[in-house]
Amino acid sequence: MTLRRIVKIPAGKLLKLTADVENGVLKSVAVRGDFFAHPEEGFDRAEESLVDIPVGEFRSAFSAALAREGVELFGLSADAAADVFEEMLHDLPPA
Amino acid sequence: MTFRLLETGVSPGAFNMGLDEAILGAVAEGRQPPTLRLYGWNPPTVTLGYFQGLDEEVDREACARMGVDVVRRITGGGAVFHDAELTYSIVLPESHPRARPGILDSYRVLCAGVVEGLARLGLSGEFAPINDVLVGGRKVSGNAQTRKRGCILQHGTILLDVDVDRMFALLKVPSEKMKGKLIEDVKQRVTSLRHQLGRSVGLPEAAAAFAAGFAAALDVVLDPAQPSPEELEEGRRIAREKYGTEAWTGRRK
Repeated sequence: MTLRRIVKIPAGKLLKLTADVENGVLKSVAVRGDFFAHPEEGFDRAEESLVDIPVGEFRSAFSAALAREGVELFGLSADAAADVFEEMLHDLPPA
Repeated sequence: MTFRLLETGVSPGAFNMGLDEAILGAVAEGRQPPTLRLYGWNPPTVTLGYFQGLDEEVDREACARMGVDVVRRITGGGAVFHDAELTYSIVLPESHPRARPGILDSYRVLCAGVVEGLARLGLSGEFAPINDVLVGGRKVSGNAQTRKRGCILQHGTILLDVDVDRMFALLKVPSEKMKGKLIEDVKQRVTSLRHQLGRSVGLPEAAAAFAAGFAAALDVVLDPAQPSPEELEEGRRIAREKYGTEAWTGRRK
C-alpha cells in the first residue's frame, strides 16, 4: 500500500513523504522536498538504505544512516521525518 | 584579495547550471581563482531543488506550452521560476579566508552580498535564515548552497520583477482546492526590485549593483574576466550530459 503525506515541518521546509509498505516492510520510500542536506549524495544513500526494513525501524535506521553518511540537514530533521512516517502508518488497514 | 567577476548574460537553464558546475571544477582544481558570476535566463526556466520530485512540483505540459525549460539543480531548496531575474553564483574554496565552516554561517556571509547590493539600489534588505533575503519583510532573493570537491558553491536569485500567476501556471501545488489561497499568500510574501523601487531595473543595472554589493560585503576586489574556453566547453558538456537529460531531471519523480 502506498502511503503519502505532505507536511510543513515546524520551523522548516515542506516535506513530501511517500512510502510503499507491504506486510510491515518498507518496500520503497521517497523523502522529497525543498530542504537542504549536505552532502546531498549521502542523503541519497541514507534514503536508499531504508528499503526492506521493518516499518518500526524507520526512526532508528534513518537517523543512524544519516549519521553514518555524515549528513547535516537544514529545514528537516531525521526525527521530524520519522514523526511524519509514523503518523502515516495509521493509514494502513488493521493487521 | 581578488575574486574573478564573470558576467555571462542570458543563457538556457541547462547551460547556466553546467557553467556553474564547470566553474566549481576549475576553482577546485586551482585553475581559476574564487569567482562571482552574474547571469540571467533565456528561455525562462523552472529549476528544481536536488531533493524535489519532478512530477510533484512541475506541470511539464504547461512549461512546454509556454516555452519554459525545466532543469534540476545540484543544490537543495525549492522550485524557482527564473524569468525577470538576476542570478549570481559564487564559488570559493572551503579553505578560503572568506569561507565559513558552518553552512548557516556561510549563507549569512554570502547573502550579505545580496543585502549590500540592495543597499546600492536604495533598498534595505535583511538576511532571513535559512536561505532568503527580504525587503520590507517580503522575499526578494532565494539562495542555495552546496559543497563539493573542497569548494562552496552558492547560487541565488534577485527578482527584478515577478508574475506570481504565471509562476503558478507552471508549478504544481499540493492541493488544487487551496491554489487560489496559496497564490494570494505568495503575492503577499514575495516582492521584486520593480515593486520596491516603482521602476524597472534591467539586468546591467542590477549586475553592477550586486557586483559592488558582493565586493563590499566580502571586502574583495572584483577582476572582470571571461570564462575560460575550457570552462565554456566543460559547461556545455555538463549541460549536454547532465542538466539537459531526462535521467538527471527526472531522478526524483
